[in-house]
Amino acid sequence: MTDQLGALTTIFTEFYYWVTVVLMFLIHVGFCMYEVGASRYKHHQHTLMKNTMLIPLVTVTWFLFGWWIYWAFPTGPGIAPSIMNESTALITDDSAFSATWYTATSELMAINLGDHISGVFWAAFLLFSWTAASIVSGAIIERITTFAFGILAIAIGSVFWTIDAAWGWHFDGWMLKILGYHDAYASGVIHAIAGGFALGVLMVLGPRIGKFSSSGEPRNIGPRNPWLVTIGLFLIYTGFWGFYAACNIPIYDLGPEYGMEGISYWTATNIYVTPTTLSGITFNFLMSLSGGLLAGYWIAKGDPFWTYSSGLAGIICASAGNDLYHPIQAMIIGMIGVVISYKLHYWVERKFKIDDAVGAVAVHGYAGFIGLVICGFVLNGYPSSGYNVGAMWDGTTYATINPLGQFIGALIMFVVLGLIPGYVIAKVLAGMGKLRIPREVEIAGLDYEMMESAKSDEKAVSSATR
Amino acid sequence: MATVTNWIDHLNKPAEEVVGAVYPGAGSSEGILVILAILLWVGWTVLTAKSESDELDRLGRKRHGPNDHKSNITDW
Repeated sequence: MTDQLGALTTIFTEFYYWVTVVLMFLIHVGFCMYEVGASRYKHHQHTLMKNTMLIPLVTVTWFLFGWWIYWAFPTGPGIAPSIMNESTALITDDSAFSATWYTATSELMAINLGDHISGVFWAAFLLFSWTAASIVSGAIIERITTFAFGILAIAIGSVFWTIDAAWGWHFDGWMLKILGYHDAYASGVIHAIAGGFALGVLMVLGPRIGKFSSSGEPRNIGPRNPWLVTIGLFLIYTGFWGFYAACNIPIYDLGPEYGMEGISYWTATNIYVTPTTLSGITFNFLMSLSGGLLAGYWIAKGDPFWTYSSGLAGIICASAGNDLYHPIQAMIIGMIGVVISYKLHYWVERKFKIDDAVGAVAVHGYAGFIGLVICGFVLNGYPSSGYNVGAMWDGTTYATINPLGQFIGALIMFVVLGLIPGYVIAKVLAGMGKLRIPREVEIAGLDYEMMESAKSDEKAVSSATR
Repeated sequence: MATVTNWIDHLNKPAEEVVGAVYPGAGSSEGILVILAILLWVGWTVLTAKSESDELDRLGRKRHGPNDHKSNITDW
């Protein structure tokens, strides 16, 4: 960096993403608290460790191959040509944003005085990966082995979500070109896929012992520590600010980027490099949160667990288009998403005997799916990208946002990259006898030995004379 | 409803038009949106007030004793 203004822009961007990472860390703290609060006392410590250990597992695999997948797969491969090299192959050539720069052996994946962005951008995406895995973690508590969860966390956190991000959350993604897919703050690319994946796992894993009566009637195994759940969800709300900020590029000159001679237009952009403002998305974040809380309080009759979760579902539902919505549109979309997700949760629970311990499939999966579909109608006709606007199915240009493209996109996120891989991997793990803990352990509690040894430790301490 | 259909065309407009509102229905739908928001807010207030009153009436009719809450605490 040799000129002061260029250095200021670069260092500002570097610091901006760094701050988003710190804020997003709170999402994981929140998920840990929330999950422990939702579990029963006899499972607390294992529940906490399961969610904590996804941090190193996903981080290491994200470094080894997750980040590479994001930059390699925007073309499918074989579905639509890249705008960088006009090839439909994996992007591993010398293009500016090629995966070749992001292998684990690359010099850019370390301290490099010529690169101030790769590390913080890598970390911002990594925190999204943790979130994806953590969403799955909550749904399956109290009966899955830590081994199985580790495999599933890597699958969703470092493989499947990064494929969907390459396809639909990348300026060069084929889903933008062919479908006109738009998902600015990740209704689908994080939430719908993680919810779908959790549902796939739950279908194989089965309910907790005692969740359903012999006649099939669901029993309530409610949160054992509502205050921990409350603080956890507040922390997730807080971390979500970082999540939203991390989905933006804070400062960018779009004139040269779009090939416009003599035009300079500095702005914040979304992940697709189209203009938005941090100010505008702040309106929408808070209004969709409020819409979700209002609808959740009403439909759950003041139940705190669902009211808090509905605040989150409100944001998630509006997130796909929150870079462009009017705040009141964001609020109404949040309300609609919450009502449908809440109703769907109980319908699926009764009909298919699915035991989603924290309502993660509803809050993330259904709300994300619904948000994508609504976005197709409300933002119908907007360009999915700032580059060449063209027709749907074309592939060489970018289709405009439309209801059919968003619906197909929602199916790809929830079913193709979420539910099916979750189901298949869980089936394989179940076949190996590694998915579920033994019945006796589930009844006694995963923490039984820890509690017994704590008891004998305490006995020894209290009988000591000095 | 779309205010922008091509970002390159949009950025090529005169500066005062480039910096305007870009949400769907900009310049035509704000009044309707505000009316909808007021209706939802008032409707929510009426509905939740009614259900709260119903719940309080139902609990009040049970004539609980002063110590009843002690047997109503979960064991977590």
